[in-house]
Amino acid sequence: MEKILTTCVYCGCGCGLYLHVDGGRVVGVSPSRKSAASKGRLCIKGWLSGDFVNHPDRLSYPMIRKGERQLRASWDEALSLVASSLTGMDPSAVGVLTSAKGTNEENYLFSKLARAGFKTNNVDHVARLCHAPTVTGLSYAFGSGATTNPISSLEEADAILVVGSNTTEQHPLVASYVLKARSKGTKLIVVDPRRTQIASLADIHISPRPGTDVAWINSLLNVIIKQGLADQDFITKRTMGFEAVKESVLSYAPEIVETICGVPAGVLREAALAYGSADKASIIYAMGITQHITGTDNVQALANLALATGNLGRPGTGLYPLRGHQNVQGACDMGALPDLYPGYQKVVDANARAKFEKGWSTKLPKVPGLTAVEMIQSAETGKIKGLLIIGENPMVSYPDRSSVRRALEKLEFLAVCDIFPTETSKLADAVLPAASFAEKEGTFTSTERRIQRIRKATDPPGESRSEWEVAAELLRRLGVPGDYSSPADIMEEISSLAPNYGGVTYHRLGAAGLQWPCPTRDHPGTEIMHIEKFPIGLARFRPVDHMEPAEGPDGEYPLLLTTGRCLYHFHTSTMTRRSPLLDREVPSPFVEVNPEDASRAGLRNGQKALVETRRGQLQLEVKVSPGVPRGILFVPFHFSEAPANLLTGAFLDPSSKIPELKISAARLRKVSP
Amino acid sequence: MSDRGSNSSNISKSNNSYSGCSKYSGRSSQGSYLPLQAEIVDIDVESPNTYLISLVLPSGVDFSYKPGQFVMVSVFGLGECPISITSTPTRGSLQLCIRRAGRITNGIMDARIGDVLGIRGPCGNGFPLNRMKKDILIAGGGSGFATLRSLINYIVDRRNSFGKVAVAYGARTRQDLYFMQEYKGWQQAGIDVSVTVDIGDEGWKGNVGMVPALIDKFNLLAGSAAICGPSVMINAVAAKLMARGFDHSDIYVSMERHMKCGVGKCEHCCIGPYHACQDGPVFTYDVVKEVL
Amino acid sequence: MKAFLPKENLIPWLKDLSSSLEVIAPVDVEGEVVYQTWKGQPPVLIGNTLSSPIEVLMPRTDVLFRYVQDSGRYTFDEPNVPTRVVVGMKPCDLKAVAILDRIFGSEPTDRPYLAKRRSTLLISLNCTDPGPRCFCAIMGSGPGSLEGFDLTLTDLGSGYLAEAGSAAGVLLIKGCSSGLFLEADGSHEASRDILLEKARSVMAEKYEDRSVEHLRRAIRSADWEYLGRQCLSCGGCSFICPVCHCFSIADLGVPDGERVRCRDTCLLSGFSRMTSGANPLRSIGEMMRNWYLDKFEHLPERTGLIGCVGCGRCDEICLAQIDRWRLEVLDERSR
Repeated sequence: MEKILTTCVYCGCGCGLYLHVDGGRVVGVSPSRKSAASKGRLCIKGWLSGDFVNHPDRLSYPMIRKGERQLRASWDEALSLVASSLTGMDPSAVGVLTSAKGTNEENYLFSKLARAGFKTNNVDHVARLCHAPTVTGLSYAFGSGATTNPISSLEEADAILVVGSNTTEQHPLVASYVLKARSKGTKLIVVDPRRTQIASLADIHISPRPGTDVAWINSLLNVIIKQGLADQDFITKRTMGFEAVKESVLSYAPEIVETICGVPAGVLREAALAYGSADKASIIYAMGITQHITGTDNVQALANLALATGNLGRPGTGLYPLRGHQNVQGACDMGALPDLYPGYQKVVDANARAKFEKGWSTKLPKVPGLTAVEMIQSAETGKIKGLLIIGENPMVSYPDRSSVRRALEKLEFLAVCDIFPTETSKLADAVLPAASFAEKEGTFTSTERRIQRIRKATDPPGESRSEWEVAAELLRRLGVPGDYSSPADIMEEISSLAPNYGGVTYHRLGAAGLQWPCPTRDHPGTEIMHIEKFPIGLARFRPVDHMEPAEGPDGEYPLLLTTGRCLYHFHTSTMTRRSPLLDREVPSPFVEVNPEDASRAGLRNGQKALVETRRGQLQLEVKVSPGVPRGILFVPFHFSEAPANLLTGAFLDPSSKIPELKISAARLRKVSP
Repeated sequence: MSDRGSNSSNISKSNNSYSGCSKYSGRSSQGSYLPLQAEIVDIDVESPNTYLISLVLPSGVDFSYKPGQFVMVSVFGLGECPISITSTPTRGSLQLCIRRAGRITNGIMDARIGDVLGIRGPCGNGFPLNRMKKDILIAGGGSGFATLRSLINYIVDRRNSFGKVAVAYGARTRQDLYFMQEYKGWQQAGIDVSVTVDIGDEGWKGNVGMVPALIDKFNLLAGSAAICGPSVMINAVAAKLMARGFDHSDIYVSMERHMKCGVGKCEHCCIGPYHACQDGPVFTYDVVKEVL
Repeated sequence: MKAFLPKENLIPWLKDLSSSLEVIAPVDVEGEVVYQTWKGQPPVLIGNTLSSPIEVLMPRTDVLFRYVQDSGRYTFDEPNVPTRVVVGMKPCDLKAVAILDRIFGSEPTDRPYLAKRRSTLLISLNCTDPGPRCFCAIMGSGPGSLEGFDLTLTDLGSGYLAEAGSAAGVLLIKGCSSGLFLEADGSHEASRDILLEKARSVMAEKYEDRSVEHLRRAIRSADWEYLGRQCLSCGGCSFICPVCHCFSIADLGVPDGERVRCRDTCLLSGFSRMTSGANPLRSIGEMMRNWYLDKFEHLPERTGLIGCVGCGRCDEICLAQIDRWRLEVLDERSR
């Protein structure tokens, strides 16, 4: 009987936990008291995070496609095929999609494999679908696109603005801190079209028309400036560009914005005063802000709000982009991005490129690569011919599934590395079985920039291997220098090239981990960022204007479809549906419909409805939900048998290339028996 | 039945934790969660989504049961679920009435004659025949009628032990009615049988309406009642019976609850301090009316 | 039988035990004390772990049997049960064992639990340093071990007073290398009594407003719907509670596989939801109320035992700001 201290595999909260091992297998989980953020608590998925590890469906041997079938092969055969197929193509035709569920070490090696091995900058991962606007938006505004304060700092806020985050269901630990602050008197403002649990616990709940966030955020700023609540001292000393923003928000008075967003002017004023008059105010945001064609502008609007009120660089203040996967922050930090090297150093910066060419002992491609959705679109046109996909399931999580299928089927070569068979792996020419988080060493970086260790608790099933071993082997086969006997070795290399991780070694990663920036071996890590100055010196305001969504409701498709998640499942649910309890809680797909809309369509709870968009249609069980406003349909994207992304479109934000997953025009019909 | 013997070494990754050849290849014993393997010997179609399955248990097994009891049925690989016993212990093979409802019942419906199902039980208390009065009113709605058939056929086989017996049963449509071929036999045994459907059709000449309405038609003596069906039906029938002089402790209700272990340990089927799988599923109306 | 174990003999004694049994002891793993197979490190016999050692008897996941299919018929294999001794179990957890013994030992018995129970020796450690949330004294489950132990230890400073509670316990003393245990005398027992009384009075003073009656009143007056709205459905209270034992059963693998039982929680709606979709517990508030009623009304009615041992873990683990004893959320503003 053993207990192994590790970090939860599900969301970005980064809760520490002990895996219980008996007879060589994972049999349970309990929380870690010493874990910095979670302090001895877990959410339901965390408690059940060991369930999927032993599942009989685990991939346990490599496979190679022969005609219609995928047949068992040896590692040597499979890796040879991967290496020769992808190196046999022009580098611009090759792409790598890494895993936000993989470790930092793995993301680093795969990004190195793409650049140094395949000589392509076509490397990306699912941050593209979630916080790409945070990276582009806050890189511009602050010089760093990560959460500015630790989660525990929320306890000290006098006001918390939660936007587009279903916090109690997606980041329960963060919700726990928000509720604790609330019980001590903190004012809670929640903005979400749906009346979620956190919205129902708020002092002010704002339900705007989806896609109008720039407008209402600008109206808050308008009121704050008019009421003299702007922090002039902070604006003068720490920022630039305020005048342009001050000018532009003049046209966003609440009375005008009311007609754009559908939110009463009085409520907008109330929210503005609550946030603006607080001494310390925090902003929490997630997909409701980012998954829009104006995602980058939405993020900038929030940054403008925080900058104008001086709510950065102190406890109780800050911006919290809540990262979804447990290591999507790390995947970004490790440069699994088409335009950034590890440590957010730009591919187009000749000095940065020279540094990595030296560090990796090879020449590197100069032109930034394609982003994830662009790679899929390019695969459909035949420009991208080969993809290596690690721990990702684009068939279920990327927009416009029909075109994803066409794209993947058109590829000349597709290799997938994963722990379970998925809709994506079933299309692959080579399938590589991976070890899960319980079966390897490595590090994850949580949403509060906290780098924490995961530890091996049990052996991977059959012949499956850690992804770092797979990447290292492919690097070897491609002749890229580098000899790694363990993930700790890989971290040594990372810390020499990524300044934020400069002081990170496994030795130093105790139960509390280390929060980056941690530039040197004796640096204690950084809790709060931007205390004295921003990475770019002075932070940047930028005026942003309201823009209508790409595909709003119209005569033919009069409803608005928005997609999202529920507490019990994680993304494409390959892990959660293999937990008996989680699967039991939400066993099947559904669509949440407003009672009036349901009644108009002649639909009752439990009946089957047809939800259609211009991309496709799905039959879904109706859940009549008073919390959903009229005119809106909510569909969770977890279920492969009824994938919400069959309905969504790939309309991209021009700056960050994130698709507008939150808005599609739709219609609803009763299914005739 | 083949015996794995010492081949258990290739069974699992942590093979050293298994006991090797098991003495229990099929035998269910007290306190164990190991099921018996019962062979399906007949499958009859009761309605478009309901089968009547006849099973034979391994020889030498003592499986005496009472009407109103249930079994935990396994489809290995899918799981286990509680199913009422629909046959009477006084005759023939063990019978279960399976309605397509979830993963496990769907799995049972895919089974064929000759296949085995796992059986654990009999579970629960069954109808307390020695406490019940001689005059009995039996009322069933929908799939709940399956458990009552056990009691009805028991009464037919032990007719002299009972007095006035009446059956009121209703289903949604004619196609949903179970055991239609048996009604005549019940009537011939001197049982007053009244059947209704919620929605009639051209071919249906019988009652159209709810089960409680049938109660008014009976000439009843205040005796015992056995009810199984939707909560609304149970409450309505009980109200009518109590108005006719039935005592609420003489009205027996077979309760449905989510069950996992069937032996009162997993705590899923609690009704107040009781476990539906041990202290029930048959409860007197006074005990359960709060939760109906 | 009583004896005295000087502190320096603790590890040699555990070494002795581990030559014939698997010793499960509380040890430091990466800075926290957890129970695992003892491999020679100094056991940490102060405070209590977050995860109760009762998991040795009732693991989070437990294989009931493996099924193997051959020509349409199955054979079953039940896993072997290891022989173990748990060292340092606190009286609150020991009381929880007594409750589970009553539940799983009553007809029809639960063989998987009883098999583990019979092959596990329990060496409890009387509690001389209650934690900030501990109230075992109020619940009648501590600070001294009452029953169900094979051996109980009390830390007297220079060593442990060891008292056998069963024949196996006597063997744990007598069967080890000679010289490890010394004779115990009246002064040892007197020290034990003083220490336990001190622990008891600390808890009694701190929690003088706590009693079972008080909690029963709180159950009746609590605003369950309000509490339900705060709940984040983590299930932590029921997973961490040593008395909670509800489980689900699932099959993993076709055509061969394992039937496992896994710890469940009645604070999830799927717990009581029937296949038809109907659910006797219609809101989180009702589920929470049901959890409390089960412990303080229903279980006592069935077994005579209260379903709470005063370990305070549910308070520590709660993700929402629910006071688990007063059954309210402390809120400085008006609701």
